[in-house]
Amino acid sequence: MNSYEPKLVCFSCKFSWGYLTDEHVLLKQIKNWVPIICSGKVDSFHILNAFKQGADGVLILGCRGGDCHYQDGNYEAKKRVHLLHRVLESYGIEKERLKIELSIDPEGSKITQLVKEMSDRLRKLGPVKKIGERAGAASTV
Amino acid sequence: MWKTESRGIARAEEAVKQYLPPCQIKCPINEDIQRTNVLISLLPEDINQAREGIIQISEYLYQKNPFFNLCGYICGLCELECNYKSKGGAIRRRLLKRFLSDYYTDYLNQKDEFNIVKDKENVAVIGGGPGGLMCAYALSKKGYRVTIFEASNRLGGALWLIPNYRLPEDVLKTTVNSLVRIAGIDVKFGAKLGEGKLTIERLRNEGYKAIFLAKGTPYPRVLTFDGEVVEGQDLSGVMYGHTLLYEVSHGNIGPDYFRDKKLVVIGGGNVAFDVARTSKRLGGDVTIVCLESEDKTSKDGIPADEEEITAAWEEGIRIVYSRGVRKIIGEHGKFKGIDCPKCASVFDEAGFNPKFDCSDCVDLQGELLIITVGQLADRAFLQREGLVDERGRLVVDPFTLQSLKKDSVFIGGDVRRIGFMVEAMKEGMVAAESIERFLRGMDMREGRKRDYQGYSLPFRKDYKPEIEVVWIPPEKRMHFQLFETGLTLEEARAEAKRCVTCGPCVSCKACVSIGFEKSLYAVEVDRERCSGCGLCVYACNYDAAHLTTEIEGKIVSSTDMFKCKSCGMCVVACPSDARILVDDDTEQRITKVIASL
Repeated sequence: MNSYEPKLVCFSCKFSWGYLTDEHVLLKQIKNWVPIICSGKVDSFHILNAFKQGADGVLILGCRGGDCHYQDGNYEAKKRVHLLHRVLESYGIEKERLKIELSIDPEGSKITQLVKEMSDRLRKLGPVKKIGERAGAASTV
Repeated sequence: MWKTESRGIARAEEAVKQYLPPCQIKCPINEDIQRTNVLISLLPEDINQAREGIIQISEYLYQKNPFFNLCGYICGLCELECNYKSKGGAIRRRLLKRFLSDYYTDYLNQKDEFNIVKDKENVAVIGGGPGGLMCAYALSKKGYRVTIFEASNRLGGALWLIPNYRLPEDVLKTTVNSLVRIAGIDVKFGAKLGEGKLTIERLRNEGYKAIFLAKGTPYPRVLTFDGEVVEGQDLSGVMYGHTLLYEVSHGNIGPDYFRDKKLVVIGGGNVAFDVARTSKRLGGDVTIVCLESEDKTSKDGIPADEEEITAAWEEGIRIVYSRGVRKIIGEHGKFKGIDCPKCASVFDEAGFNPKFDCSDCVDLQGELLIITVGQLADRAFLQREGLVDERGRLVVDPFTLQSLKKDSVFIGGDVRRIGFMVEAMKEGMVAAESIERFLRGMDMREGRKRDYQGYSLPFRKDYKPEIEVVWIPPEKRMHFQLFETGLTLEEARAEAKRCVTCGPCVSCKACVSIGFEKSLYAVEVDRERCSGCGLCVYACNYDAAHLTTEIEGKIVSSTDMFKCKSCGMCVVACPSDARILVDDDTEQRITKVIASL
C-alpha cells in the first residue's frame, strides 16, 4: 500500500456532536476537526477554500432534521452542500469529496468513525487531481 | 458533567423593558425556563451519566427557586402561555421539573448549607408557608438574620392541604425542612402572632427591624346566598373542606371515613376538587356543586384546572355546574340535602356577584355536606394590629407590599390575596427586596418596574406532539399515593428538545454556560462594505436583521440585538463580508485548520 494519507476537514455542530466528551481529547484524536456552533455557519467560502488549500475532502456533521437550535441551519448547510457538489464537479472534483451527515452523537464516538470511513473512501479516490489531469472536467457543467 | 464556568450565569439585564420567552413572563418568578430546557435536552442518554447533570441543573434552579421541585407537582402555570400550545401542545415544563425533582429531592437532604455571613439586621417572618419561606430564603441569602414564627408545628402552610396523591408528603417535608437548614433560617414553632403576648410591637422591641406578615388564610369562608349567610351550616354532617384537608394531612382520618356515604361538595376551585377527590378516596360517593359553568373559556367558567376536572370525572365524581345553594335542609339536627337554584351569572362588572334563577331549583340529597368556597384571613388579628382601614381592608402598597399603616411591616401571600403557590412565592421575593431597600434606606420603587415583552413561535417544518402524561387508571388509584407517573430520562430529553427556545439569548445563555460559546457575540456591520442588498434580512430566522437608511440616502443593514441569537447565518449569507460576529473565534479556527493542510 502507498503511504498516501488524505487530508479531511471535518466540521461538526456542537448541539448534536460530541458535546458530552472533552473537546480537547477529541481534538487530539481527530485531525483537522472544527467543532462549530451550527452547521449552517459553515460558509461555502470555507469549503472551497479548504479544497484550494489542499484538502482532499470535507465532511460536515449537523443536527437531525427539525432539531436545529437555530431553526434550520442544518437544512441551509445541506442545501449549500448540494449546490457546491455542482461547483466542485465543474472543476472536476468528485462530489464524494464533500459530504454532509445529519444525525446525533453526544458522545462523539461516531465522529471518529465517520472521519475514518470517509478517509478510507478518499484514499481510494486518491489526491485531488491537478487541473491538467482533469480530462473533460469543464464539460460536466 | 459540564464545565460550567462562572461567566455563564444567566442574568437578565436590569431594564425597564425586558424581553423574555412567554413562559417566563407567565411564571410569576420568571424562572429560567428556556435555559434549563436546553440543558435538559442535552443530558446524556445513560441515567448514571446524566445524574450529575440533573443535579447541576437543579442546583441552578434552586438558587432562585428553592421550591422548584414542588412546582414540578403542582404548578405548571408557564405551560398556559407556551407558544407551542398552538402546534400540538405546550412543552410540559411541569413534568420536566418533576423529572428533576425525582432525582434532586433526595439530594436536598444532604445538600451543604450556604456559606453566608449573617451580619445584617434581624427580620421576622410571620408564617412558614411558601410566601414566608421565600422571603426568609431571599433575605437570609443576603445576610439578614431571619426568624420564622410559625403558628403550627410544621413548615409549609397551605401546601399541607394539597392531598398526597398530588404532592407526596415526603417531598413537601424534605423541601421545606431543607430550605431553612440550607439557608440558615431560624424557626420558632407554635408561635402564633396575636396570641398571648406575641405582637408586632413586641417583635419590634425584641430587635426585629422589619416584619413580613404572611399568615395566610387560616379560616374557611362560610356559605352565603344573596349576601346572607346560609342557615344550617351548624347541622351535624356539615363541614368545611379546609378542615377536612387539614385533618387528613395530620393523619387524623382513617381510610374508610366516608365509606358508603353520600357527599355533596360545594365549590368550583382546585381546593374543592382536592376535597372531592380526597372524599372519594375515603370511600364516599361524591357530587360537586359549583356556581360556575362547564365552559372554562366563558367569563363564568369553572376556575379549577382542566387536569383536576378530568381526573375527578375519571374517578366517578359527578359535577353539577351552574347551581348555587339557597337552603341547607336538615332533619333532627342532621344534614339531609340542599336546595339549588340555577346560577344565571357569576361575575359582572363589579366582580363576583352571582345572580340566580329561583324558578329553576333542584333538591340534592346527601348525608354529608362539605363547603369549600374559599378561605379567610384572621381579620380580628389584622384589626387589632391596626393594619386595616375603617372598612376592614388591608392597607398595603401592592407594588412594594409595604403596609401603609406601619412602615416596617410588609404583608403578602394569601393573607393579602389568595393565589397559587408561586404567587405567594413571588410576594415573598418582592417583600424581601422591599425589606432590603427599607433597611438600607434606598428608594422603595426605583428601577423595579418591569415591562415584559414576549416572542412568537419560531418556524419549524414540522411540530411534534406533546408527551402523553401517564396516570394510574382510576380503578387502581383510589389511594393517597401519587397518581401521575413521572417522565423517564429519555422522555424528558425528548420533551425538552421540543422546546423551540423562542425567547432571547440574553436571558438564557445556556450555550455559554456549557461552553458551546464564549459569549453572546454581537453582530457588527461595516457600513462602508454593506451594499444594502438585504440578503441578511432574508437569511435571518429571527427578524433581527433589518435595512435602514443612513445619511445621504445609503441603505445599510443593522441588527436588533434583542432578537439576534448570534447564530451567524447573516454573516455567512453576506456577499460583501460586511458582517462579523465580534469576538467570535470560529473564523480563525477554521482558517488555522485550513492553513495547516
